[in-house]
Formats: sequence, structure tokens, C-alpha cells
Amino acid sequence: MSFLTGPGREHLNGHKEETLHNEIVRVKPKKEVFVPLNNGSATKVDVYVNEGDKVLVGTLLARRNDHFNVPIYSPVSGVVGAKKNMMHSVLKPQEHLIIEDDGKYEKVESFKPIDYTVASREELVNFMMEAGIVGCGGAGFPSYLKYKNPVDINTLIINAVECEPYITSDYRFTKESLDDMLVGVRALLKMSTAPKAIIAIKKSKKEMCEQLEAVLKGDPSISVFKTPDVYPMGWERTLVYEYCKKRYNRLPSEIGIIVNNVTTAIAFARALQYGEGIVEKVVTFSGDGLKSPTNVRVPFGTKVSEIVAQIGGYASEDVLVIAGGPMMGKTIPTDEFVITNYSNAITILKNIKVDPMECMRCGRCNDACPAGLLPVRINNAEKMKDSDWMQKLRADQCIECGLCTYVCPSKIDVTEGVRRAKRALALRKG
Amino acid sequence: MKFNFRVSPNYRTPLSTQRIMTELTIGIALALAYTVYFYFTKFGSDYGVHAILMIATSLGTAIGVEILWALFYKKNIWRHLNTSFPWVTALLYVGMMGINKPLYVIFVGSFIAIFIGKLVFGGFGHNIFNPAGVGRAVSVLSFGGFITNKFADVITGATPNQLMEKVGWVITDPKLATEFLDQFGGLWSMATGWYAGGLGETNTLLILAIGIYLGFRKIIDWRVPVVFLGSLFAFASILALIKGMGIWYPMFHLLTGGAMFGAIFMLTDPVTSPTSIPGRIIFAFGVAFLTFIIRVKGSLPEGVIRSILFMNMMTPLIDTALDGWTFEKTKKYAMTLATVFVLGFAGATAFGVQANYIAPVVEKEPEIVINLKGEPIVVLAEGVSPSAIIVSETAEGDVTTFVVNINGYAFQSDHSDDPQPNTLEVKVNTATQTVESVSYVTFSDSANIGDKTNSDVFLSQFVGLSIVDETASVDVVSGATITSQSVVRAVRAAIAAALD
Repeated sequence: MSFLTGPGREHLNGHKEETLHNEIVRVKPKKEVFVPLNNGSATKVDVYVNEGDKVLVGTLLARRNDHFNVPIYSPVSGVVGAKKNMMHSVLKPQEHLIIEDDGKYEKVESFKPIDYTVASREELVNFMMEAGIVGCGGAGFPSYLKYKNPVDINTLIINAVECEPYITSDYRFTKESLDDMLVGVRALLKMSTAPKAIIAIKKSKKEMCEQLEAVLKGDPSISVFKTPDVYPMGWERTLVYEYCKKRYNRLPSEIGIIVNNVTTAIAFARALQYGEGIVEKVVTFSGDGLKSPTNVRVPFGTKVSEIVAQIGGYASEDVLVIAGGPMMGKTIPTDEFVITNYSNAITILKNIKVDPMECMRCGRCNDACPAGLLPVRINNAEKMKDSDWMQKLRADQCIECGLCTYVCPSKIDVTEGVRRAKRALALRKG
Repeated sequence: MKFNFRVSPNYRTPLSTQRIMTELTIGIALALAYTVYFYFTKFGSDYGVHAILMIATSLGTAIGVEILWALFYKKNIWRHLNTSFPWVTALLYVGMMGINKPLYVIFVGSFIAIFIGKLVFGGFGHNIFNPAGVGRAVSVLSFGGFITNKFADVITGATPNQLMEKVGWVITDPKLATEFLDQFGGLWSMATGWYAGGLGETNTLLILAIGIYLGFRKIIDWRVPVVFLGSLFAFASILALIKGMGIWYPMFHLLTGGAMFGAIFMLTDPVTSPTSIPGRIIFAFGVAFLTFIIRVKGSLPEGVIRSILFMNMMTPLIDTALDGWTFEKTKKYAMTLATVFVLGFAGATAFGVQANYIAPVVEKEPEIVINLKGEPIVVLAEGVSPSAIIVSETAEGDVTTFVVNINGYAFQSDHSDDPQPNTLEVKVNTATQTVESVSYVTFSDSANIGDKTNSDVFLSQFVGLSIVDETASVDVVSGATITSQSVVRAVRAAIAAALD
């Protein structure tokens, strides 16, 4: 009933043309990489190497050791150095392991490749866990968890929507790894137990749609699902709703759906075929703060400052460096931080002053909210510090997609108000 | 290099509140421009210029008040104006005022709209009532009768609404309906605004076109005018069905009295309407319902603005009632809307059944005919008035003609600085001893009152009166007693001279 709750989405100017048609450029670190010893917000990590150890690309460096199991493999070959506390793209200083790059990129098989067509479902799930495949949508959620106990799954959705402005890394990476992607999707389909998979992609990306339809001809189990060019079409809930007009409570598996990002499928395929974990990333460097926006392929752990210098430098002296896209990415007040194994973009924008004015209660944020919230009311509640009211308005359901701030004609930081409310509610519960 | 921090997101729509207000301003200005053109063309440049002066007064007052406010609170004047948009309120306000309003009414109304309607609540974004609506309501309540004589003729008693009010908002006889609509040139003429009304309200089709444009541009929420106009049309249709009226009747409801102007420009004011979609739908429906019952059963001719102001008051209540997580509440929203709609239609039907055609009371023309039922006065009762002067006396056989000067009403009051006597010719037949005739030679007395005595009905009373019968009498013209008496004194003087 979007007539009553608002469309919950909005077409944005994607600025994708700036990088959409250019080949991915390979960039190398100057002399060392900094491997973050964390996985998303988790920081409990067992390190298996010592200072002075010689490592190769793919050597197991560390493993997240709480209730999730995520290994970290060396992105370069060289010598293990000291640990260093430095800024991380989660906007907090984190411990990083320094590895001196010898520039040779000697590889070692991290694990034995397996043939997904003969392996059992359980073997594949186990393999995925061992390979350290994390969701590449930006959050770094371990992917194997989705496939552990599939019940009544009817569709696997491969998310190639990429709705954040400026970002084209998924698009370029998929375009240049179509065969790998198909292997990944077929393996995931087997693991999911679903009868069919759909590859969701914006209908505005005509070239890719045609290309995919051509390679999928004759395979009735996989089809292309074209979505409108709106934000946040790539958010799991919005995408699932667009596909089957159903909403779910916590996980899409409740209504028989598993969603995985397209680059996760590619990474999984590379692990299956070549025995390699995620050691390098395709990352979009874009935005009006850069002289020449580019998609780069870099070993993770490479510093942003080094990459920017190698692709032409900044276009302005006064910039915002955003880890991710401009909607959901955090601004990091330095460029001395590294690409993680789940980064997909760095957006650099000229710092243009924003002059907010009074809220005129137009309700555009309410109409746009993809989570069905009333951001203007949550902001009112937050200003009054009325936590019962915030709870009634379910501020905890916000995913911080940023659309409320985007649509606000009065240029108010609406999302930030909701974020504060969300934090207040979390504190109250804790 | 400078690396900055700012909370996400760092991407914003190009649409700003300033642009929304600019497009809205252009929309309202177009509606006003049409009316100015109408007055220049239909009534001449005096009217056109007055319309422009009204708009200028409203704009000047509103902007002036905001500048003073900014100066008082030591704000940057340009930024204050650019985030407060007084011109929108000013144009909306003057758009609802008729051409017959003097400029000082516009001045006061515009001041109240901005100051009481908006600034005292804390300025743009904080006001509870639609500021232009407040200005208009205060103007109508306080200065309803204040009209400029110069432009009074155009509108007084002639807006379609006021005429409809007089017949109880029901005309069942198709012939009467046609006659009624023909007063404004029919529905088409009403739709194109070719009649006198509020400065921005009359051209319904133009406003509709502007509204469609603004809706497509997402400057206004299309749901609000659609729900409002649709509901009003539906209510009027129910009444039309009950009373057996044609399609013209619901059309009339949409075309008259600022319904369209209100729908496009006033109801869609974001500051004073609810923030959620179901809220805005209830709001628009509420205004339609109140407008309908105020029109059909209320004692005032027009309901749109009052209904908007009333629903403005309900806005916080509606917002609070709909608070929550919309995904959880979708069903509740649907139920709430269904309930509101059912109650609304039931209520409108109940009110509609009670509406009845009221035969218009034909207003009597001011009485010009002489009323002879005044007090009779005896012609020969008193002596001859010293002010009666016989100017000439000519005898022709038995008939003597006297020309008599007599002081009339003009001499009795401060009515005139330089009063002149009336001159009468009185013919007396000395053989039959009767009055032959009485007539005015010159009449210099007060117009519209004293000249009622200059009529056959009054003067012919004298014909045949006996000049010796001391009880002979004539009736005084009601409302012109003093002039009547002066005529009697002149006749008396002539009779006295004839008897000499």
C-alpha cells in the first residue's frame, strides 16, 4: 500500500557515467599494506603469524574467533611487520598488521579448490566458511550463515542492483568476470536448495541486461530481474519487496528467500576454482573531488592516500573522503586509512557548505523512508528526548540509508536525528 | 589538503525549499495576473490599477513586517527573508480578497497574516494556522462591511456564493438553475473566471492547470487537492441526487468561492497540515466535509478558509494519532481512513437531506411613490406664513394665477449653505371659490425627499378644495412632511390673497 505509506524510494542522479565505461585499473601499494585485524565491528581476532615471518599471497594471517569464523589471508607476498593502531573505515582506530610488500605477488593456495558440481551441499557451506567469504554489500556479514539451515527456500536473489550513487565496482567487476559469476551463482543455488535464482539489476543498465540474458539463454533456473533505477533498490528488504511484494520480520529466509551480493558470488567462484580467499578488491574511486574517477583493483590493506596519488590526485584542496558511497558511507577525516576486504568504494567530494533552514513539515522524508518510518516525527521526538515516543515510532528500524536527508528540501540532517534516536533506544535497552 | 568530517549522507536532492516556494509564488502570481488582466479589460484601468495597488500593499506590508522582525532580532535580513517567504503569504492573502476592499484593509490583513498568523508562533515552520487564512478570516470578520465606494458596484451582493447562500444552496427547478447560472455567464464563464471575485480565486481552470503542474513537479502532494475536490464533488453529488439536481450542482461547488484556490494553494501548505500521507488525506477530507456543511447549513456563505483553519487546529491530533511504524500500521491506516470516509459521507448525507430551497425574498426598491397615508394637515387652519411671498398675481376671467415663493426644507436645517425657496403656481377660481390647480415652477429643495411632493398624486389633492372651508385638508407626503407643509403654506397665502 505505497499509496498510504509513500513510495519508500527515490530516483537519484547516480553519476555512474564517470566510471561505468572504463576498464578497471590495477594499483599496487607503495611498499607496505596494513591488514585490519577486525571484521566489521568484531575485533576478537587470533593472529597466526609473527613479526619477521615470510608470507605469500593467500597465507592465512588471522581468524576471527568469536561465534563467527572468518579467516584473513595475506593480500601480498613479503615480510610481516609490527602491529599498528590506525584509522579504519568504520571511523574508529583499529589494530592493523603491517606487511612489507616485496612486489613479487607470489601466490600460495589458501585451501584446496573443489568442484561444486560433485561436492555436497554441506561440503560447500563448510568450504565457504573456510574460504572466509563475507558479504560484499558493504557490511561484511559472513555469507555461509545464510546457507547453514535453509528451510523452504524458493528463490535465491543475486543482488547486482548497486544503487548507491557513483559506485560502479560491482558492475565493472561482474562485466569482467561473467564466467566466474555464473559458477558462483550455480554453486550458491545448489547450497540454497532453491529451485531458481534471479539476478537483480537496474533496468537502466541495458548493456549488462542484454549481456546477461544472452549468457543465461537455455538455463531456466537463472533469470534476469530488472528493477527500477531508484534508491535504495539494492537494500535487501526493498529488493525482496520489489520482487514478491512481501515483507519479512528479521531475515528474508522467513519468506523463502536468500539474498547475496553479486561480488560475493564471484569471490566464492574464485575460491572454488582457484583456492583463493579475498585478497584483492575492485573499488570505485569517484566523486567530484577527484581529477579522474577510476575503478581500481588493489590488494586489500592498501592505503587510500596511495591509491588517490596513483590515479591522478584530488581536484580540490577541501574535500570529504567517504568510505563507501555518498549516501551510506562514513566520512573519514583523513586519507590515511586502508581498503578492507569488503570495501567497494571510496567517494571523494568537494566540501560544499550546507545551510539548513527550519523544517517546514513537508513530510517528504516520511514518504521516502524505505523502512516505513516517519523521520520528521522521530526527529521531533529526539529533540524532546522522549524515548517512549521514539520507541513508538520504531526508530530502531532505521537502516541509515540516508534517503530522508537526501530528500529534505530544507537541507536538515534528518538521518542524523534518527541515528541519535536509535542510539538513545539502544542505550535504554542496554 | 583539508579533510572534513560530516555526518552521512553527503548527497542531497537539488530541490530546495527556496525553489519549492519560488515555483509556488509563480503559480499564485499567474492566477493573480489573470485577474488583474480581467479588471483592466472588463472594468477599465481604474480597477486594474486598484488591483495592482492591493497586491503591492499586501506584498509591501508582509515584507516590511518581516524586515522589522529581522532587525529587531538582529538577524541577517536577506537570509531571514529567504527562509521565511513572506511574499507567498502576501500573495495568497490578497488572492482571497475582493477588488472592493480599500487598501488599508489589505494593509491590516497582511500585517495580521504575517505577524499574528506566523511570527508570533516562532516564524516559518512553527505556525499552527495557515497565515494567509488568518489574515483573510480577520479581514472578513473585522472589515466585512468596509468597502471602497469607488469599486463597490462590482461585487456588492454579486458573488455566486452569496447568491447561492440566499437560496439555501439548493435550486431544484431546472429553469431557475439556468437563470441562476446565467447571472455569471454560465458554468464555463465561472470556470474561466470571467466574473468578479477574489483577486486570485476566480479562474478555476487556470488554477487547476497550475495545480497539475505543481503536482507533477512534486511541489505539492497531489493527494491533497484530489481528495479535497473529489470529496466535495461527491458530497455535492449526493445532495444533487437527493434533491434531483443536475451535474451542474457539484460542478458549481468546485467552481465557486475559492474551492480550487484553496485546494491547490492553501490546503497544500506543508507547515499547517499533517506530515504523513494518511494524515494529509484525512486533513483534506475533513476540509471538504466542513466546507460542504458550512455551505449547505452554515450561516456564512463561504466555508473553505474556515474549514482549513479548523483542520489546521486538528493537525497535531492527526499526526499523533498516526504515529508509529507505517509497515505495522498500514492496515490500521486503511481502517481509519475507511471509518473517516464512511462517517463523513453519512454526515454529509444527513446534512444534505435537510437542505432546502429558500425562495429568495425580492428586495423592494427604495420607495419613490408617494405615500398619502401621512398625517393630514388642514389647509386653512393657520394664518399666512410670513415666508410665503406672492411674486405675481394675474387674473384671467374668474381664474386668478398666483406665483408664490415659499421656503422649503432647505431653510429648516443645515441641509444647505445657500438655501433657495421653491416657487409654486397656484390658480384660484374666484367664481366657484375653489382651487383650480397647484404646480411647481421651480423646485430648489432637497432631492429624493422633498421632490416627492412634486407629483400629481400630492398636488392634485388641492384641486377643487373650497377656499372658504376651514376644515378642508390634504395628506402629507410621508417622509417629506416639511416640504408638504410648505406647499400648503404657499396655497394658503394664495387663497388669502384671493379672498382679499
